[in-house]
Amino acid sequence: MPQMIACFKWVVDEAYIRVGASGDLDMNAVDYKISDYDKNALEEAARIREQAGGSVAAVTVGVPEATKGVKDALSRGAEKAFFIQDPSFRDLEPSQTARILAAVIQSRIPYDLILCGEGSSDLYARQVGPRLAELLGIPCLSFVQKLTVEGDRVVAERRTDEGQEVCTAPMPVLVTVLPDINTPRIPSVRDTLMASKKEVVPVRKEDLPDISSPFLETVSMKGTSLKRSGTRFTEDPGDVKAFVDTLLQKGVLK
Amino acid sequence: MAGIWILGENRELTGELLTAGGELAAATGEKISVLLWKDRSRAEEYFALGADEILVLPELPEDVPPEALIPVITGEAKTSQPGLILLPATVRGREMAARVAAGLGTGLCSDAVAVRWNGERKTFEMERLAYGGMAVQKVVFRTAPAMATIPPRTFAPAPEKEGRTGTVRELPGPPPSPVRVVERKKRERTVRDLREARIIVCAGRGIEKQEDLRIARELAEALGGEIACTRPLSEEYHWLPEDLCIGLSGISVKPELYIGLGVSGQVQHITGIRDAKVIAAVNKDENAPIFQTADLGIVGDLYGVVPNLIQEIRKARGQ
Ligand SMILES: Cc1cc2nc3c(=O)[nH]c(=O)nc-3n(C[C@H](O)[C@H](O)[C@H](O)COP(=O)(O)OP(=O)(O)OC[C@H]3O[C@@H](n4cnc5c(N)ncnc54)[C@H](O)[C@@H]3O)c2cc1C
Ligand SMILES: Nc1ncnc2c1ncn2[C@@H]1O[C@H](COP(=O)(O)O)[C@@H](O)[C@H]1O
Repeated sequence: MPQMIACFKWVVDEAYIRVGASGDLDMNAVDYKISDYDKNALEEAARIREQAGGSVAAVTVGVPEATKGVKDALSRGAEKAFFIQDPSFRDLEPSQTARILAAVIQSRIPYDLILCGEGSSDLYARQVGPRLAELLGIPCLSFVQKLTVEGDRVVAERRTDEGQEVCTAPMPVLVTVLPDINTPRIPSVRDTLMASKKEVVPVRKEDLPDISSPFLETVSMKGTSLKRSGTRFTEDPGDVKAFVDTLLQKGVLK
Repeated sequence: MAGIWILGENRELTGELLTAGGELAAATGEKISVLLWKDRSRAEEYFALGADEILVLPELPEDVPPEALIPVITGEAKTSQPGLILLPATVRGREMAARVAAGLGTGLCSDAVAVRWNGERKTFEMERLAYGGMAVQKVVFRTAPAMATIPPRTFAPAPEKEGRTGTVRELPGPPPSPVRVVERKKRERTVRDLREARIIVCAGRGIEKQEDLRIARELAEALGGEIACTRPLSEEYHWLPEDLCIGLSGISVKPELYIGLGVSGQVQHITGIRDAKVIAAVNKDENAPIFQTADLGIVGDLYGVVPNLIQEIRKARGQ
């Protein structure tokens, strides 16, 4: 019965980001969410536990406000959460996140299987999972679209550029999941209520080795505008004709 | 700094990375080493494309995945200390890059779209997209080597030069890998390359059933264009191959005309059509974000609109 860890990130919902005239990112009215594909990682852990037994700990590194995300993760099937928090953990670089996760997991979370998303919704670096595996010295299976636990090993169907590849690896192992591996549940009211009763283990910066220096330094983050003029037409046949006429005028229809 | 390393997976990707590496080699005065993986016979060819040294990775048994080479690469990098390592942003390239970077304790710029040497500050500067494509993130390195994965087609293939040659060196075999490949299923590549398409009709989740893709296909045919899709259609439903997925995790296209059918227009998708000349959309929700990023939009049910649209287009094109 595998002891599982699902790593998730609490991120800015990019749909709420506004881009100012000078290209600065306006984060004043943003909302937050569990990074899209991390819901698949949480779901996969919950699914395996329901089938094969075992346990699921949800783990996140973030700012103290991410406590909402911790609750959300607990309503998705994990029975316990490790919340590694500090106000300075807002814009960590993937190597820092991986080093923090490795330090915490190594020192206090027993595991057989670690699940990560394919990539985070904000950075989409697709680094933290493989880096974490390397730091822990365990095998890594990335971009997995189907996963089965068989005794003390996993069988994973990976998507590669050439097609598919079925691999086996002994546990402990780290797996990064693609969005088609499952359909994340929508937590019920009961799930949400249950989540508040579950254990959250706080881990603070003081408890960690020093990872204050990033390997990669972000020197600027400039918004790009994708806005266009937006002429609207209705579905009336006359309007559909006008739409086609406009395509002709623009010279894109030959 | 001792050189620029390139780990391309095949001839095509290596050729592109040699263009990127060549520009940086000229700026820094460094030599280029290509790590040969899979196609060992290509040494001479890569010298002609700009390589100064070939490092031959050991041959692996059928059931051992290429990721088993990671300790060999990391070990050699610790010894020869290259200043920059470039890999393709492919499935394998991404995982290898991240694990080599972790092993070396260095930074990695994923999906770099621009790579420059800043001679004044003596550092590599790179650019990538963040927030689904809403922003361009510029990074510099605090550690060495600098590392990047570069999406296919970001650079043109390197031209061949005559009379170039270099040295070849074999790297040692890998330690045993606990991972086994038990099965490989090859997939057919889509014949047409969407990146060259002049007109693209993109199917989104507003299409209810796989059979209904016919509607998008007919529209594409009437326009003399190609069909493409959003990620849920290729990745979740598997209705169309991944080569046809447009966006951040798919491909970027630059057609003269893009028409989205039942596409909501989230930034991860739209970022892949930012270079389209005209963006048009059919969506029944007047508040769908795609209307903000489109030049022309029809607010309506695609099942009712598209047949009319096809008729009008046929008329206009004299079909
Ligand atoms: C890290 C990351 C990377 C991603 N990469 C990509 C990528 O590369 N490419 C990509 O496409 N997505 C990508 N996505 C997903 C992206 O965020 C969106 O979820 C996806 O593009 C939505 O696809 P869609 O528009 O087809 O579906 P939906 O968002 O579900 O939109 C369907 C639309 O159809 C409309 N509709 C429904 N019925 C009808 C009808 N009868 N007639 C007309 N309109 C109708 C609806 O109003 C709705 O707007 C990524 C996401 C993340 C987090
Ligand atoms: N701050 C974080 N806390 C916990 N897990 C994370 C964090 N950042 C990234 N991850 C995990 O690593 C994956 C890849 O992230 P990234 O390398 O940023 O694309 C995510 O899908 C998560 O599973």
